[in-house]
Amino acid sequence: MSRLIGAELLKLRTTRTGVALIASVVGIVVLVSALATFTGDFDSDEFNTVDLLGISGFAQPFALVLGILAVTSEFRHGTITPTLIAAPGRGRLLAAKLAANGLAGVLLGVVAVAVCSAIVLLGLSARGIETGLASGDVARVVAGQVVAGGLWAALGVGVGALIGNQVGAIVGALGWLFLVENLLRIVPGLGDQVEKYGINGASNGLGNLESQNTGEVLGQVGGGLLLAAYAVAFLLAGLLVLRSRDVTT
Amino acid sequence: MAAIEIEQLTKRYGPTLAVDGLSFTVEPGRIVGFLGPNGAGKTTTLRALLGLISATSGSATLGGRRFVELEDPVRTVGAVLDGGMLHPGRSGRNHLRMLAQGAGIGRGRVDELLGLVGLADSADRRAGGYSLGMRQRLGLAAALLGDPAVLVLDEPANGLDPQGIRWLRDFLRSLAAEGRAVLVSSHVLAEVTQTADEVVVIAKGRSVAQAPLSELLAARGGGTRVAGPDVERLAELLRADGAEVKPVGEGAIVVGDRNGEQVGRLIAEHGVVISELGAVSTSLEEIFFELTGEETSA
Repeated sequence: MSRLIGAELLKLRTTRTGVALIASVVGIVVLVSALATFTGDFDSDEFNTVDLLGISGFAQPFALVLGILAVTSEFRHGTITPTLIAAPGRGRLLAAKLAANGLAGVLLGVVAVAVCSAIVLLGLSARGIETGLASGDVARVVAGQVVAGGLWAALGVGVGALIGNQVGAIVGALGWLFLVENLLRIVPGLGDQVEKYGINGASNGLGNLESQNTGEVLGQVGGGLLLAAYAVAFLLAGLLVLRSRDVTT
Repeated sequence: MAAIEIEQLTKRYGPTLAVDGLSFTVEPGRIVGFLGPNGAGKTTTLRALLGLISATSGSATLGGRRFVELEDPVRTVGAVLDGGMLHPGRSGRNHLRMLAQGAGIGRGRVDELLGLVGLADSADRRAGGYSLGMRQRLGLAAALLGDPAVLVLDEPANGLDPQGIRWLRDFLRSLAAEGRAVLVSSHVLAEVTQTADEVVVIAKGRSVAQAPLSELLAARGGGTRVAGPDVERLAELLRADGAEVKPVGEGAIVVGDRNGEQVGRLIAEHGVVISELGAVSTSLEEIFFELTGEETSA
């Protein structure tokens, strides 16, 4: 199993996709967190350091895409055939992809939260603004963001295995997250449930602090467990599809 | 035990039977050409053998076991399908390394194989720029990673230039001489006639022949074609003489076991009128077309 994980890590390192995703995350997080930190109006009541640290959450859709690509690019380029000829166990392949890309997702989370908290904390201190956070709070936000990176990548691996088609999986997943869930949130009665228990909601809970949480989302542990449950559900469904699938590309 | 055994293999895609009750075997040390026109079911058969698609019924086994049940597939079977699929952004060397890594095979073997297939100089370029011939060579290297006793190669000559085809032929010969079983598919007969010990010919998913090449030639080729107004009478005379006579279309017959002179003497003796007399081509190409029911180009 460790060999297969090694092979998956090698796949990640030997194309430009992984580097491009990390560079994109760093670029966006630097830009957005610097703009927010240095131009924000912190005299208002809206000021919230946790929200600023939440900018590292920009890593999450990239982690999702990373996980999706891990499976779908094999179908897109047909490398699934030599991959399965070398190691025919499809469950083991999916497990190896989960481990390698979950790790890569964690790395994306680490990079994003490191860059983001450095800019936010240094920026605020340079402007002489109190963060209003204890160091334990910062640690909890950082931990939440790092775990979220891994879980989003795991979710992506599941979605990729379930859908298989690269464009379909990416458009479907991002469409659901950025469009459908947001639209559902304005539906009366349903909206609050979606905001709390939707995939975005679960992730928001994971990246938030209990002390800041006014009940729209779950707590960190609850949110993390719910996000993990989504990932497991998609991974199991993806496993069923992958195992029965005729590989003809 | 046969290295490869296909037993009543059937694969149905909706209403289409891609493979229909196909059976054949490949023994160790033999090169078996797997022939048929495009769409005859060759790739489907090989994909079923390699566990990539599930058969509707029947079985495909390697040394008596299904591919997915093999304990160490890379060291048991090497295979290339569709010219070996590559990620365009990954170098050939890294493609091999990633497959080797999963099987616990070291970098030394990767470098050795890249040299063996003549790709050492281009191995670090991104594979998107490889020619089809280079992909085929890389695919062969991938198949050989685990030094397997069985090789399954789907159209390995596609995209190779004449020198490349000669190289491939010698390469496969040397692999079989080491006792490996080699199953090599092709839609171009000429590619395998000088390589294969025997051929399996399929058409529309069914096996139409499995035989050593020489037997196939002896059984199918040769004979004398006669045409003309009196061929029916000539046929009777020939049959009375014990010859094997086959009508071919309107006003023509093929005599299987008489040469032109023998038929000519009979014609002269009985005063039969004919318009054509000639030896039937014995080319494998025509046997292939006859077997697979395809039009000959002649």
